[in-house]
Amino acid sequence: MNIVVIFLIVAGLVFFFATTVGLLRFPDFYSRMHAAGKGDTLSSLLMLGGLALYEFHEINFATILVGVKILLIVVFIFMASPTATHAITDAGFESGVQPWQKEKTEGESP
Amino acid sequence: MIWQIDLSVLSLVVICAFATIMVKDLLSAAIIFGAYSFLMCLLWTEMGAVDVAFTEASVGAGVSTILFIAAAYQTTRIVKARRRGRLSSKIIGLGAAVVMGLVLLAAEAHFPGFGDPGSPASLHLSPYYITHTLADTAVPNMVTSVLADYRGFDTMFETAVIFTAGLAVIAILRRVKQADRCELPEPVAISKGYEDTIIRFVSRQLVPFMQLFALYVVAHGHHSPGGGFQGGVILGASFILLAISYDLNLVISRMSEKTNIMLGNIGVLIYAGIGFLCLLLGANFLDYSVLSKILPATDNIMARSHGMLGIEIGVAIAVMAIVIAIYLNLSSHGKLDKGL
Repeated sequence: MNIVVIFLIVAGLVFFFATTVGLLRFPDFYSRMHAAGKGDTLSSLLMLGGLALYEFHEINFATILVGVKILLIVVFIFMASPTATHAITDAGFESGVQPWQKEKTEGESP
Repeated sequence: MIWQIDLSVLSLVVICAFATIMVKDLLSAAIIFGAYSFLMCLLWTEMGAVDVAFTEASVGAGVSTILFIAAAYQTTRIVKARRRGRLSSKIIGLGAAVVMGLVLLAAEAHFPGFGDPGSPASLHLSPYYITHTLADTAVPNMVTSVLADYRGFDTMFETAVIFTAGLAVIAILRRVKQADRCELPEPVAISKGYEDTIIRFVSRQLVPFMQLFALYVVAHGHHSPGGGFQGGVILGASFILLAISYDLNLVISRMSEKTNIMLGNIGVLIYAGIGFLCLLLGANFLDYSVLSKILPATDNIMARSHGMLGIEIGVAIAVMAIVIAIYLNLSSHGKLDKGL
């Protein structure tokens, strides 16, 4: 049980780290949003899932209540975070942010 | 308290505060200020002040960031470079600030230290609340009982302050179409992207849960962190989410300007009315224990609990209405036609 919890939380941390690196290193707006949106959602899911599982190590009413609340947070993050990413990316697309290309080519619209 | 966490969060708070002042772009400043509020919220949680943290998260980081962004969007984003003052006035200002700081530092030495168990507040005031709250009011959450019962006057006037702030925003910003004297530049038109199906669908799914959670926060404020202010702000935020993902007209058709002002009034009136009810029943203003005379099946102690619930509901209604009214006016130049 504890091993699973540790694995989930460490995996979440690894993905968070990858998110941060991606956010800092990627070349343009869209790829940064790609890193932020996906990595953030996944790592939050993993870490909160690990915490919820940790609550279940002792089964009684109080711990189940806390675990279910954490799982509800997971559900709402799973709904809200990709939507927010989509909204930001969409706003960027609408206001005409050009995607990054390795070599500047003419006449290629996204 | 773990001092490493405290130190790192506190230094981030200071960095964010400086960044908020230094950044020239007001939109960035608003967002950094939101980050600052979230860090403060972490700090409050870490100190064990969960109610304050909740308020900071919902009011400071949530709604005020939206209001700042709406205001920056409708006015101007970039701070113009300020004209340089004369050197002498700068020196005078610096001197005044340094002298004032030294005086404050000198006075600070006479205050009891942070969390000092021997300070008067820890010796007399806090133990009273800690030992008497449950026996006096049957409310496990001490913060709620202190806010809504022992110091009910304070909270009543806080509600009145919020109500007045809403009135001030309406009075300053609201403009009727015909009498539109002051010409402001039209905001940049947002293209068709705002009619996004995904965003609309998800916000439509989230809004009922947000409102349910807000009601839970209001009703459960006796037992867990939360209460009227936080619940009201979350209720208002759910309407703001609708206004952002759809348009202002949808929100106005549900919460019109008249309804908002009415609800703001009603909320403050509920609070003050419960106070006057206590006066009529022959006790002091906001002394809820006499409410047991009119409430069925309650003794003096449970009456205080129910009285608190009543005023929390009043606070929530007032805060919700005022938050919506402020957002509607800020985001549409006070014209209430189209917003962000």
